[in-house]
Amino acid sequence: MKKYNQNAYGDYFISKRYPDEAKLIAVLSDGLGSGIKANILSCMTATMLLKFIEGDQIPISKAAEIIMNSLPVCQVRKISYSTFSAIEVNDDGDAKIVEEGNPEFIWIRDNEVMKPEFKSIPSKTFKNRCLKVYKLNLRLGDRLICCSDGVTQSGLGGGRLKLGLRREGLITLLLDKLKERPDISSTELSHYIVNQARNIETDRLPKDDISACVLYFREPRQALVFTGPPYHQEKDSEYAKMFANFKGKKAIAGGTTANLISRELNRPITMDTTISIGKLPACSYMEGVDLVTEGILTLTKTLEYLEANTPDIDNAAGKLVKFLLDSDCITFMVGAKLNQAHYDPALPIEIEIRKNIIKKMANVLQDKYFKKVNIQYM
Amino acid sequence: MSEKVSVKVCLGTTCFVMGSSNLQELIETVPKKYGDKVEVAGVPCLGLCSIDWEFSKAPYVKVNDDVIKEATVEKVLKAIDEKLAKN
Repeated sequence: MKKYNQNAYGDYFISKRYPDEAKLIAVLSDGLGSGIKANILSCMTATMLLKFIEGDQIPISKAAEIIMNSLPVCQVRKISYSTFSAIEVNDDGDAKIVEEGNPEFIWIRDNEVMKPEFKSIPSKTFKNRCLKVYKLNLRLGDRLICCSDGVTQSGLGGGRLKLGLRREGLITLLLDKLKERPDISSTELSHYIVNQARNIETDRLPKDDISACVLYFREPRQALVFTGPPYHQEKDSEYAKMFANFKGKKAIAGGTTANLISRELNRPITMDTTISIGKLPACSYMEGVDLVTEGILTLTKTLEYLEANTPDIDNAAGKLVKFLLDSDCITFMVGAKLNQAHYDPALPIEIEIRKNIIKKMANVLQDKYFKKVNIQYM
Repeated sequence: MSEKVSVKVCLGTTCFVMGSSNLQELIETVPKKYGDKVEVAGVPCLGLCSIDWEFSKAPYVKVNDDVIKEATVEKVLKAIDEKLAKN
């Protein structure tokens, strides 16, 4: 959230998932001052730090130390240009965290705040800078929350909280919320923090940029999308069994594919009482399957929505977007059989090749929505 | 007592782009006209375009076991009338 009267964000958050190395890096930086100047400073710090850490050639603490020692000093205020927190965590729960200048992160386990040990690395070049390095071992259900000082200092000077929300106030808010909704998603919790911080500011006008980053360590939500009939028809039953045995949410995109599963697993299909919604064929229903849609047209539209970031659309593609975004690990089973009729030049619109759409969709899901994607051609 | 006539509109990709999306009207007019003597529903795919693709006559609609090629609302209504007359 922006400081009031400013048209640019002074905090910068960036995170990236590395499926091959089974790890995630998140960086939050707060630039000095406000508006464009702060925006440039925080953006540079965060992206440089991310690049440093992902290179994997030097440990995260060393990368942070180099940044800390080289960040220039503001001519006016004689303090560092920007502050940062960076988290690197792998799928086993080994987390490394570095902090310089930002409020101390909060680690919550079983609704209690943990007190992790840390190593301080003072800066060799600047007296007032000190890096904190943590090594944690997360368990399922743990949460990590880090924020910019806009959160902890919200409400400062006015009204009830003379000293602002502070860390203690934030912890109370978090624990209360988690008691009320133990399964709250990271997205919702971070929105909650930011909104609460704004609400206690005088006149609800943020006097600093307000950002919060939440990490929730939990079992990934698995999802499977089966689209297109397999190239070798004799393997239909094998693939149908794979589909049936998959643990997680399931979707089918394709009329022929839906018929195949219906036939092999002996599960009848029922349709919506309508034909089309929003220029796409209506969804159908099958026991044990969370979503059944038409194939290529719906997939093409889904890709369009994902790229343009337009959720909550009431048609089959909108439902598929929600299905995908509510999952963490997505497997696509893509049948390679082509339907010749789709390439008839007489068709009024061009029908994309399934493989290509899925490839594009996988890229968007990985790069933009940080999903883990696995494609299996059949 | 005569049996119900079943009308199945193919909603597969080919049929949909070739015009079954325009058959929405059937869902509204058929119950009004015939009451519960006729049942209209979409189906994910009748699988006809891939068999017959060189002479593709999508959209396809099935009225009981008869396939209607290049289906329009008029053609489907006519087929329903014929079925009901036979019953």
